[in-house]
Amino acid sequence: MDGKKRPLAVCVTFALALAAGFLLCVLLPKEEYSLSERRRLAPMPKLSAQELWSGRFMSGFESYAVDAFPYREGFRRIKALTATKVFQRGDNHGVYETNGYLAAMEYPLDEASLDRALLRFRYIQETYLGEGNQAFLSIIPDKGCFLAPLSGHLSLDYEEIEKMAAEKADFAEYIKISDLLEEEDYYRTDTHWRQERIVDVARRLAKGMGVQSLGAYTVHTQTEEFYGVYYGQAALPVSPDTIRYLTWEGMEEYRIYDFQNNRELSMYDLTAAKGRDPYEMFLSGSLSLITIENPRAKTGKKLVLFRDSFGSSLAPLLAVGYDTIILADIRYIPPDHISRYVDLSDCDMLFLYSTLVLNHSDTIK
Amino acid sequence: MLFSSISFLYYFLPCMLAVYFAVPRKFKNAVLLLGSMVFYAWGEPKYVLLMGTCVLLGFGFGLLLERYRDKVFGKICLAGSVAASLSFLLYFKYWNFFLENFSKATGIGVTVLQISLPIGISFYTFQLISYAADVYRGERAQKNLINFVVYIVMFPQLIAGPIVRYSHIAGQLNSRNHSLHKAAEGIRRFVIGLAKKVLLSNQLAELCSVFLDTTERSVLFCWLYGIALILHIYFDFSGYSDMAIGLGKIFGFQFPENFDYPYASFSITEFWRRWHMSLGSWFRDYVYIPLGGNRKGRGRQLLHIFIVWGLTGFWHGASWNFIFWGLYFALLLTIEKLWLLKGLEKSRVLSHVYTLFFVMVSFIIFNETDMRQAFSVIGGLFGAGGIPLVSQEAVYCLKSFGLVLLAGGIGAVPTVKSLVGWVWQRPGGKLLKAAEPAFLLAFLLAVTAYLVDGSFNPFLYFRF
Repeated sequence: MDGKKRPLAVCVTFALALAAGFLLCVLLPKEEYSLSERRRLAPMPKLSAQELWSGRFMSGFESYAVDAFPYREGFRRIKALTATKVFQRGDNHGVYETNGYLAAMEYPLDEASLDRALLRFRYIQETYLGEGNQAFLSIIPDKGCFLAPLSGHLSLDYEEIEKMAAEKADFAEYIKISDLLEEEDYYRTDTHWRQERIVDVARRLAKGMGVQSLGAYTVHTQTEEFYGVYYGQAALPVSPDTIRYLTWEGMEEYRIYDFQNNRELSMYDLTAAKGRDPYEMFLSGSLSLITIENPRAKTGKKLVLFRDSFGSSLAPLLAVGYDTIILADIRYIPPDHISRYVDLSDCDMLFLYSTLVLNHSDTIK
Repeated sequence: MLFSSISFLYYFLPCMLAVYFAVPRKFKNAVLLLGSMVFYAWGEPKYVLLMGTCVLLGFGFGLLLERYRDKVFGKICLAGSVAASLSFLLYFKYWNFFLENFSKATGIGVTVLQISLPIGISFYTFQLISYAADVYRGERAQKNLINFVVYIVMFPQLIAGPIVRYSHIAGQLNSRNHSLHKAAEGIRRFVIGLAKKVLLSNQLAELCSVFLDTTERSVLFCWLYGIALILHIYFDFSGYSDMAIGLGKIFGFQFPENFDYPYASFSITEFWRRWHMSLGSWFRDYVYIPLGGNRKGRGRQLLHIFIVWGLTGFWHGASWNFIFWGLYFALLLTIEKLWLLKGLEKSRVLSHVYTLFFVMVSFIIFNETDMRQAFSVIGGLFGAGGIPLVSQEAVYCLKSFGLVLLAGGIGAVPTVKSLVGWVWQRPGGKLLKAAEPAFLLAFLLAVTAYLVDGSFNPFLYFRF
């Protein structure tokens, strides 16, 4: 193909690519929400003289052009594969795939962040823990702590975190759970752990806190495919997860109350399981203050569980041993506001946090 | 608007090309002018007026210069034109620098201006100055305002060069050829430049960013940063120049080359003959030679070198590190001129290593406004400060960016070009030639994918 043919082919290919790109950009209907990235996509900015003069229209349009690009998910997949397969990059947006699992590179350990979190926990313990009650601390390792040593990616030194926490958190008894966990205990495409795989963790915690632990249970399987948060971030081709949840005798009598929205909840929101973030089926996701009352327990024991999202799937498993569990997410509610809604007297405390939150504790109020 | 953006590639460029090639020849410059104004206003709507004022002044001074070039008034016009162009540059780019340093030196508190640097002001100011000087020296002034504005604000070279001399482009402004061959060459050049910027430079910039954000320094990491940095800056600048030259060709222009594999150089002197050539030749022709060049004795020549390189550094940004960067090259060039150049010819390997090392050090200075940080990184190359030889993060980055670094290293020297040229001459070369549109399309798709993904896409020229 010489002479005029090759230049013609180059020009025609380029012109067609640009023309097709332009027409598709203009004509195709636009999505408003990206399910995989779990975010609202940038809308077309409003056109006005003021917006143009200030430059806001242009910056808005740049975001819109990227977010509204036709077949965006496909292009994100092409980028992810080009980065990881062609350029052999170890990660895409800090998320990597090993043995079919996606994990985020959480590194390095921010000691100041850990110290800050422990300082907040100490304040809560000193302010609210009653006499005769006990405080406990447990740290949930990130999935990367198990995967990174296999793949050579960066991850937090979990042993170092546990050591530091045990040394500095003299206000609480440390309950180790890391030896019970492995990568299979987490969803392949999501940050979180799988409820059906953490019964041993719940039992260890219950035992450590001196309460009755979960007995026999039934595992239920959701039919919907679960694409977790890492799936969207990485844009790599990984099979979806399946959500399973546990029920046991007497669970239907539990009363769950959401103080954030003043409403009764169910333990598992099966509608949310079909929604944008299926993990939100566990205690309806990110809520600042919830109570679980178990009328069958009659132990006279109450627990305040200071937790992050990992606690949503674990808390139900602890409910067997307590009359009441108060779940407080102090990323969304300041600790001093909790007592406005619930009675914190005569409660044990469990600080249960993942390394992901402890390493970015500026989110803790 | 950036060339490496979805808005440019899939909104602006298709519309621009469609209109440009649809209108009759006599309207093409007007279309180019309008498109360029939209392109510039997209990033800096308020500064369109500033640029317009500069251009109109340049046009007016040009007409006066042509008329009075042999008279004293011609000299006044030249001085007026240069002063007018420079005054805007000094005010918008350097005023705060002068104020801050005045304040530091005297202890007198000053209020700095809340102004942003107009994009491309350094480039169009230099083009205006070169135009005035060329007309004063005998070049015919441009009588057509549209053609003149197109020369200054033509979007392919407006924000990142190359700095196009009026003499180089005067004829093309009035009449130029458009052909399939030229357009195909331009497309090839544009897509390759785009790929250099988005697929290589941006990834290398990511590595630099990881290094600058970390507290975990090690000797290995400092070297990785240094290597990534020189490759990132090269692929960014040369990628942008390729895109500009390519777009120029599509629109029928022939812009001057700006980079000629500078990392294949065997001395700093050679490096500067291959790096940002349009800037180097601008300083040579409009500062170094007018100062007297090498015609006034060795002492004056060395002084001229230091003046030119101090200004070259300062042109890159209103910060001491850029001035230091320029003077650093002045020193190296002086040493080479006086003693080293002949010695460097004895060993190609050593001279290459020497050149790359000192260029790498220069870019570490270039990239760091805090000089203490820059020296800390340079010291880190040799383990200064007691940093370890390797760190976990450095090892990961070496693995993760290894192929990008390798691709960058190979792409920065003429190997690939020679190899492609060689293969094209072989019997199987025809097949490769035939596949060229597919290769270019694949590059374009990969670039699009990176842009759609919202990947790291820094813009280096905001300081220029």
